Amino acid sequence: MGVYIAKRLAASAVTALLTSIVVFLLVRSVPGDVVGQMLGQTSDPVAAKALREFFGLDQPVWRQYANWLGRVLAGDFGTSWTRGQPVMGMVGSALGVTIQLAAATLVLATAIGVPLGILAAIYEGRAPDRIVQAFNLLGLAAPVFWIGLMLLVGMSSSFDWSPPLMYVPLHESVSENLSIIALPVLSLALLQAAAYSQFVRQSIVSALGQDYVRTAVAKGLSTRTVFFRHLLRNIGIPLVTFMGLILIQILGGAVIIESLFALPGLGRLLLSSIETRDYPVLQAGLLVVVVIAMLVNLVVDLSYRIIDPRVRLS
Amino acid sequence: MTRFDIPGAIDRRAFLAFGGLAVAAAVIGPAGAAELYGPKPTGAKTGGTLNMGLLVEPPGLDPFHQAADARIRLTVLIYQGLFYESPEGTAMPLLAEGFDLSGDRLVYTVRLRKGVKFHTGQPMTAKDVAYSYNYIRDPKNGSPGAGDFAMITAVEAVDDATVKITISAPNAALPMTLGNKYGGVVPAGYFDDPEAKTKLNQASVGTGPFKLSEFKPNSNATLVRNPDYWEPGVPYLDRINFIFVPNAASLLVGLRNKRIDIATLARPQDVKQVEGVAGLTVERKPSFNQKAIDLGAELKPLDDERVRRAIALAVDKDEIMRASIGGLGNVIGTMVAGMQDSWGAPADKLANQKVDIAAAKKLLAEAGHPDGFDLTLTTIIGYDWMDAAGVILREQLGKVGIRLAIQRVELGVWVKNFQSKQMGFTFNDWATVPDPNLLFYRHFHKAPEGADFRNWKNDAASKLLDEGRVESDPAKRRDIYVRYQQVMAESVPTIMLFSADHVVVRGQKVQNYDQHPTGWYYGLARTWIS
Amino acid sequence: MNASSVDPTFRQRVAKHARRLRHEPDLLIGLVLSSFVLLVVLFPGLFAGHSPLAVNVDRAMEAPSATHLFGTDDVGRDVLARVVYGARITLSICASALVLAAVIGGALGLLSGFVGGRIDMLFGRLIDVVLSFPPIIFGVMVTGILGPKTTNLIFALTVVYVPLFFRIARSGAMAEAGMIYVEAARSMGLSQGRILLRHVARNVLPVILVQCMVLFPLVLQIQSALGFLGLGVQPPTPDWGAILQQGKDYILLAPWMSAFPGLAILITALALMLVGRGLQRRMDRR
Repeated sequence: MGVYIAKRLAASAVTALLTSIVVFLLVRSVPGDVVGQMLGQTSDPVAAKALREFFGLDQPVWRQYANWLGRVLAGDFGTSWTRGQPVMGMVGSALGVTIQLAAATLVLATAIGVPLGILAAIYEGRAPDRIVQAFNLLGLAAPVFWIGLMLLVGMSSSFDWSPPLMYVPLHESVSENLSIIALPVLSLALLQAAAYSQFVRQSIVSALGQDYVRTAVAKGLSTRTVFFRHLLRNIGIPLVTFMGLILIQILGGAVIIESLFALPGLGRLLLSSIETRDYPVLQAGLLVVVVIAMLVNLVVDLSYRIIDPRVRLS
Repeated sequence: MTRFDIPGAIDRRAFLAFGGLAVAAAVIGPAGAAELYGPKPTGAKTGGTLNMGLLVEPPGLDPFHQAADARIRLTVLIYQGLFYESPEGTAMPLLAEGFDLSGDRLVYTVRLRKGVKFHTGQPMTAKDVAYSYNYIRDPKNGSPGAGDFAMITAVEAVDDATVKITISAPNAALPMTLGNKYGGVVPAGYFDDPEAKTKLNQASVGTGPFKLSEFKPNSNATLVRNPDYWEPGVPYLDRINFIFVPNAASLLVGLRNKRIDIATLARPQDVKQVEGVAGLTVERKPSFNQKAIDLGAELKPLDDERVRRAIALAVDKDEIMRASIGGLGNVIGTMVAGMQDSWGAPADKLANQKVDIAAAKKLLAEAGHPDGFDLTLTTIIGYDWMDAAGVILREQLGKVGIRLAIQRVELGVWVKNFQSKQMGFTFNDWATVPDPNLLFYRHFHKAPEGADFRNWKNDAASKLLDEGRVESDPAKRRDIYVRYQQVMAESVPTIMLFSADHVVVRGQKVQNYDQHPTGWYYGLARTWIS
Repeated sequence: MNASSVDPTFRQRVAKHARRLRHEPDLLIGLVLSSFVLLVVLFPGLFAGHSPLAVNVDRAMEAPSATHLFGTDDVGRDVLARVVYGARITLSICASALVLAAVIGGALGLLSGFVGGRIDMLFGRLIDVVLSFPPIIFGVMVTGILGPKTTNLIFALTVVYVPLFFRIARSGAMAEAGMIYVEAARSMGLSQGRILLRHVARNVLPVILVQCMVLFPLVLQIQSALGFLGLGVQPPTPDWGAILQQGKDYILLAPWMSAFPGLAILITALALMLVGRGLQRRMDRR
């Protein structure tokens, strides 16, 4: 298992490296850079040249990349060109917001989605199933940002309430923090709950038709035992995979929801660093996203084995 | 030698004799000399936190290297120059106390205010002033303001409280240039540390009424009161949270639900969405900004003056203004609304201001385009007014046969095109400080003295701009700039469309916020909370 | 053509499929809704009485009424017309991205699976790079950096979905490569290229087509999300995401500017999902 993990990590590192090269070339292939934005429309060419030198933008791209990579390997992601703060700190605090958002969404989506899915499976083909399926379809079809927008306006016009706009971390004020993230989490969770419930329903329905369940029932085991001992274990693996998938989806959805609800998360940081052409922040932010996605996938693969020792890792 | 002694308020006669800047003050009238940062309140209470919502996040808080207007709006509260740009068009002494001007009008001996301390605690001296202005005017240091200070040949500290500024040719706009748009006075040697540039985003080293407390990306910038501030008794607020809100929907919802105490609306028409909400007050103020159509002569057939005139004759400025900002502004001729009274040419003296489709078609036919031509308009992403204005402009130009395509680009791309004088046909959105030389010279004087971004290359206009810069008699100076504006209206390097009003929405507890026509937040230095 | 010239077995097959629909109400609903959307795409003039671009500042932000069923927007354009004409723009972008992704991904996948070796390795790595991004973040990166243009949008959406088709085609090719009929064809002296085309592609194609239908609603979601962020189709061209992007700033005063394009996305996604799912189910049964 150790060898397997090492191999996977090595492969991930190669992919991350390739990704960083692609991003590096991409951002430098388009016109416009941070200096143009800093100096505005009427600036002096001498001043522009001086600032480009300061940021190292006058050097050939390969050398810029080599310099960047060298520093990153030494653990230094540099300083933001527009903010003067260490990139690590900026990305770190933004990541904290996004992770909280993702975690809360995952919890809420699971809490809604799994029971609904089980309910639908138990009543397969009957009214509760139909209702849950309709919810699933609507949840999957509605655009997340549209739900967010409608929630925002609905709350404001019905209850004269809207979330606070200045972000407060959880450890500073729990109530303030929760009232900030409630609507974004709800908008994200509706979609994911639908996906969850859909998935759980299907897994159970197809498992119910399989031999081992039939055998267990035939042996006279109680419904509850069959359900918990056999069924849940057998849908456990796909469920974990699915959780990983959802987590990565939430990460993507966060970009849009953070912009709508003024949350200082990773998605908004990426957007603003693209806008201001703050390359060090953009590079680091994207690298973090990629690494997280890979880690999630790795954890998912590993948990296969923990849940079900029969799975061989190859 | 002329002596200007200015105890707090400016001596109007002296300025009339000197720069002509007081014309505006004379027109504005009864209020008399302006007060620094806006009117002083009566019965103000000290203390409290103000939450201000900002739709545009400043890309950085470095007044020396960051040109964005979103930066200037905030940093005028943190850093101070020698003079303050009063809305009436006078340069009021700020860190200066007054100055003497030599007979040849080339040497300014500036007496500095005493008892001024930096946010770092150290006292400000003439050495710091000389250092700061020498740093910013050296283009090698990379300041976007360097060009504005190009006429300065030397800044020297005479003694602790006096600096001597020498310029290369008489320039009526010098004191206004020493204002707060770029730079400000910082401790001598501050930029010796190579990381100093970026540190300005974390800790402030100015002399202004507020200090920077924290600057969190995509979240907020928080200023706290400067306890060592040199004006007695001000500012009143303990703390200002500038909260960055990424879209108007959240901002307006936040205003309604009291998550935000005050905001200026980027799109004046948003007012409709908060009008009539209990507890919110809406105020409109004229501005120094202008929305314009630029016609770069490097793009054929815009090199043909007849084509440019035809476009001007097809444009209905009022319709564009109504569509893009809901009519909450002033249609302008060749001068921003806030300066029309002091420096603008009367509308009836300007050519090509009224829609005349027949005349436009005739001009196009003469220029060899009887069936019109294809043209691409560049607009900037994030400038909402341009989207609506582009749609209207397309319809208007369609009436004379010009088929308009619209291309939206990122600000960075646009700036690059603009600077390399390849901007073609584009919307522009810019603001000024109250002086015609600062408004026109760099943009419209032919190269190399000016930047001439539109490749206008107009000798008559350049000559008038040179004359206006040197002239000190206010009446003559005004006359020169009126003639300049007539040339501009006739030849159409740009079509100034309108100035959007500043629209301030505030909750009831916010007292005495006066919006400066530049759009900068000077007024917060006089604001208090009841 | 008269009815007797139609192959009777074909008619029977159609009739059989149609009969089966009765037991699949969801597929039926999906087909009806999709046909409606298709009708809107093909003949927008039937549904909208106004031009999607005609501006009328004096009638800006009017609430829904008999003349403007969906109300008007900030410059007085008819929202119904914009939503109706937007269908064509929005859905053709999604469709072209999907087709491109299917063609490119499918071709590369077949090649990779059939040839194997170094080419397979190389493609695999490149695919990993794309897969390591959440799709929306990849889209934001590409359209944000390269600039918001329709071509860039299609490019981003294409690249995002290439890996899925690549994997399907690759595994299909690998499975088929060992099949007896491919071996037989090879021993008959048919060239490798023709083997690929004639046998393998034909067996993988239906899977890819169904996958296209299944993915369509997802592509629509990402396309409109990018439009909502201002990174998609540029004004004044009507596109659902772009209409929402402009509408959101007027949400307190004119919620109809946001509500209707959002509903259009919802209904279209729903229709496509029902169809895609139904097809998938039939495919699995086979």
